[in-house]
Amino acid sequence: MSSNYTNSPCAACKFLRRRCTSDCVFAPYFPPEEPTKFANVHRIFGASNVSKILHEVAPHQREDAVNSLAYEAEARLKDPVYGCVGAISVLQRQVLRLQRELEDTNADLMRYASCLGGETTSAYGGRRG
Amino acid sequence: MSHIKQIHNGSLERFLDLLLIAFIVFMTLKGGTSGACAACKFQRRRCAADCPLAPYFPAEQPKLFQNVHRLFGVRSIVKILEKLEEPQKPEAMKSIIFQSYVRDRSPVHGCLGVTQHLQYMVMLAEEELKAVNSQLQFYRSQQQQQNGQTQNQNHTHTQMMMHEIGDDKQQEDVTSQQLDLGMGLTVNNNHQNNGVTPFFSPLPVSEIQQQPQMSYTYSCSEVNHNGFSPPAYNTDSCKEILNNNANAWGGLNRFHYNNDNGFGNQNEINKSNNYGVMAIQSQLVNLQMASNHQQQEEEEDDNDYDEIHQFLEIIEDRQSYADSKEAYASSSGENLKEQIDEIGENELRSAATCFSLTSVN
Repeated sequence: MSSNYTNSPCAACKFLRRRCTSDCVFAPYFPPEEPTKFANVHRIFGASNVSKILHEVAPHQREDAVNSLAYEAEARLKDPVYGCVGAISVLQRQVLRLQRELEDTNADLMRYASCLGGETTSAYGGRRG
Repeated sequence: MSHIKQIHNGSLERFLDLLLIAFIVFMTLKGGTSGACAACKFQRRRCAADCPLAPYFPAEQPKLFQNVHRLFGVRSIVKILEKLEEPQKPEAMKSIIFQSYVRDRSPVHGCLGVTQHLQYMVMLAEEELKAVNSQLQFYRSQQQQQNGQTQNQNHTHTQMMMHEIGDDKQQEDVTSQQLDLGMGLTVNNNHQNNGVTPFFSPLPVSEIQQQPQMSYTYSCSEVNHNGFSPPAYNTDSCKEILNNNANAWGGLNRFHYNNDNGFGNQNEINKSNNYGVMAIQSQLVNLQMASNHQQQEEEEDDNDYDEIHQFLEIIEDRQSYADSKEAYASSSGENLKEQIDEIGENELRSAATCFSLTSVN
């Protein structure tokens, strides 16, 4: 996961054209093999903001934070108006639609169950009689 | 002398009152004590009349701008806004403010956490819908079968009466056949239940013989294999729907909650007692309906951002979800990373295709 400090600088340091030191905060999360990951994040949020966010987050959570930032940056670049909020809105609508559909289907099911239960009882009662 | 002084004091008081009123009116028109928007106030600069951020960051809500400033920075926002057309700018700012708010509330996962939570809810709803549809299909087939049986009995009885009246020889044959099997004449109207081939029945023998086996403990798949299901609700179509959805959202395995929720053994539930399934389903439905009652009430509103605001409540409730997710992440960070990458690609693809429709609506 971590980049090779001695051989090549991380994607962030390469992009910013600076020396990648051993304590570089970006190096473990922006390997040189994925230059677009940092480029996207830097373009939308800025390296300074990303660095600040990473320092505020616990070390074991930094990878998750970087990945979520990379996702959001990519989404914002693809859709400058809505970004990742567009996906949230779509999913929200989908959840509401499914819940409404589920409610309707459940109502149908209850109707069928009660109707069929009554008919079954009467049919068996008739046979016994 | 004192009289003159009193008059002078009165006019001074009136002048001061007028001055105070003018100051209040001036401040009210300018929109605050200093008049600067939250962005300019935060940056301690003069808020010009053409400030691009002033319409979106009122001075009364400095936290909104702080969130946006911390995540994006003013330069990024201005850059994003510059590329957009005028009608798109308010929407873009709303989404930026929302995204920053979510990041402030959840510094690790941000909007990706909300997206994953919603995907999980979609998956749950689809699984439950599938189960309920299977159950409904079973009841429909059961009802169709009962209707067919009732009609068949009536038809059989009518034909029996005609045979009894019209053909004495055939009547004797039937009687002897039934007597050989140890049955009396009184069970004539129950031919199909006795395994005797009813030569006058319009239904094929195999279907009639299957009829007594039908019970509420049948699984939906067995019902389908017997051909009693309406075509729109057969199991294959349900599987296809589920597979399509699983492909569209990158498969079910990427949800960390898979092993913890009760839907991993959906097939087993279907094959168990159907009354039990109904009870589980109804409980789940009630829970979900109760939790999302407010969302459904507000669903009529067409404003996208209002809908987004409903999820602020979800975000507030996400603390427990975030904790569980963190536990997962610490156990297998590599997997989560791959999953997030997959989700990112799939999400963007779906969002790009779907959101144009929602924004039009």
